[in-house]
Amino acid sequence: MTTKSQDVNALFEQWILDAETRLQEEDMFTKIKSYLESTHPEICGKCIPCRDGVPKLERLFDKYIQGEATLKDLKEIERIVYNLRASRCSVGLDIGKNMEVILENNYNVLYSPVKKY
Amino acid sequence: MAKITINGQLVKVKKGTTILSAARQLGIDIPTLCFLEEINEIGFCRICVVEVEGEQDLISACNTEITNGMVIQTDSDKVRQSREATLQLLASRHRFDCWRCPKDGMCEFYDLLKSHDVVFEEFGPGIGRSSDLIAGSGISQDQSKCVLCKRCVAVCQNVVTANVLKFRDDDDPMNPIVSPTPGLAFDDAGCIFCGQCVKACPTGTLFETDHTNDVLTFLRNKDDHVVVQLDTRVNGAIAESFGYDIDTPFEETFGKTVKALELLGFDTVTTLDYGEDYHARATAEELLKRLEDKDNLPLFTSSCPASTRFLELYEPERLDHIATVKSPHILQGSQLKHKLLKQKPANTKVVTLSSCTAKKYERTREELVTAGVADVDTALTVREITKLMKQKGIAYRNLEAATPDPAVTSEHVAVQGGVLVAVLNAAHQIKTGEPLAELTFKHVHGEKESDGFIEEATVQLGEAKLNVARVIGGAAFKELFARSNKKNYHLIEFLMCPGGCLNGGGMPIHKNLTTHEVIARRETSYCDGGTDLPLSNPLHNHLVDDNFADDPSIHTGYSQKEYRKE
Repeated sequence: MTTKSQDVNALFEQWILDAETRLQEEDMFTKIKSYLESTHPEICGKCIPCRDGVPKLERLFDKYIQGEATLKDLKEIERIVYNLRASRCSVGLDIGKNMEVILENNYNVLYSPVKKY
Repeated sequence: MAKITINGQLVKVKKGTTILSAARQLGIDIPTLCFLEEINEIGFCRICVVEVEGEQDLISACNTEITNGMVIQTDSDKVRQSREATLQLLASRHRFDCWRCPKDGMCEFYDLLKSHDVVFEEFGPGIGRSSDLIAGSGISQDQSKCVLCKRCVAVCQNVVTANVLKFRDDDDPMNPIVSPTPGLAFDDAGCIFCGQCVKACPTGTLFETDHTNDVLTFLRNKDDHVVVQLDTRVNGAIAESFGYDIDTPFEETFGKTVKALELLGFDTVTTLDYGEDYHARATAEELLKRLEDKDNLPLFTSSCPASTRFLELYEPERLDHIATVKSPHILQGSQLKHKLLKQKPANTKVVTLSSCTAKKYERTREELVTAGVADVDTALTVREITKLMKQKGIAYRNLEAATPDPAVTSEHVAVQGGVLVAVLNAAHQIKTGEPLAELTFKHVHGEKESDGFIEEATVQLGEAKLNVARVIGGAAFKELFARSNKKNYHLIEFLMCPGGCLNGGGMPIHKNLTTHEVIARRETSYCDGGTDLPLSNPLHNHLVDDNFADDPSIHTGYSQKEYRKE
């Protein structure tokens, strides 16, 4: 996270340095989603965890944006994020690591809006 | 040697082996999907991932070499969860209609889902993965079932060398597809219809074009006299599909197969022996004629339709070399319609039953028509005929033996050698009056089936000394053409499928046996004690003797075929 050329990287720097940063909920979900979308050009489409995992994550964050997320969706997000560790190359692995940081630092933000029942 | 620990077991394995093969040697099974040994070791599917101590990420076992001191976990929680999640993602983009899928129980993807107990939510096939069929006269493709493992691509490229199927990720890498040239059917994209991709596919994406409905229509029509010509090599394969061992002796099941075909409603059941012997004898005469004229040598046998199409597409300057004799089943079809059966040719329907998907294409060729009637009406593969038998409710195992129609069937004799041996034997006998004393082939190229084999032999024919070669597997074709520039060959037999017809594209699929093992066991079932058998000799066939005539109806022509690739 040394380059500041990209907005997303700057975003991560902020998140990593300041774990307490609490973003506006809605703002955060759209930002995560736009980060995921920005990775599309890099994805080569060869291995499954990254090629199919990233669009699936986007779908799940869509649910957050629409306020329909459930606890199951959060668990699903976790599973797919950890599964990115099985990717073939560093593109998928990096997306996975970035997403892990997001989950680690903002789990409370992701947890609070879910419908528990 | 390197010391590694797999699941707590400390073992020594040879350096350079992959984690997967090391584990399999130990009897630990790591599930795989895209892996095909030595053909496709690319680590695309991430099903075979394992946990290695000291590594942050999961590592694919199929293409990672072991290093000294590796500590490997093949079934830790992390690994299992990852496999499950990957399978969920795959499943959510796969169209499930298992009950009518052409793969019919041999689906590796289904087995994986089952063994991992996968629950998934559909989020629909992505862009460019419609369920519209990509049509072809021999094989078709249904992309909505594709799991993008790239196995068919590797086989098409390395084993068959036709390069028709490609992994297309240029337009949209997030939604890649595997297809022939986009927008074109297989026929126009340069496919030779050998069917090896069908065997490689772990799902039902690629399959032989279904012609069972044609056959059912023929059978339903009271005016039609429907003949089935059974390639004796597939008898064992039909028995296999009904639960017999692969190496069950031929005699035990042949009668049952004939009975089952009769029960299906075919009016005449016959074997392909007549056509094969006729073909060999006609080819022998052509060989002798060409040797006399010193014209267009070497002669290529025309028995394998996939090879013929390969030459028409990719080696058009060699078309003069192919024997003009029609291939065995087409030849027999035209003979059945016009000579052997006393029926109206237009009302006789000939169905070929063989191990070959290329025959499906071959019968659509415009050249193969005698007196305005197509020589063969449909070709079925083993998988299709067993489907029909199961639909009809035939209890194969309990059937009594029957014999094929003696009026049109030559006696089946166990002999060794294929087309090449038969042609040589016939040529030798016509020329010198004596059959060949012996014939030994020398293996000159290829270590395993997927490389392709080349076998050579020299035969003394009168004063002339003939160099003959047999090429098995498309990968060896190039090598043979290179050799033929240096050496003078006189007769060459081409077989497109690695391992020959016993491993043809229409044969049943075996998930747990290697190609080599399957072929070896099918061979023992077909001809036990193969090396002691007499060489095949078409001149001993009385039915052929009575009917043989070298008229234009047994000859055909070849022309360059167009294709478009991207």
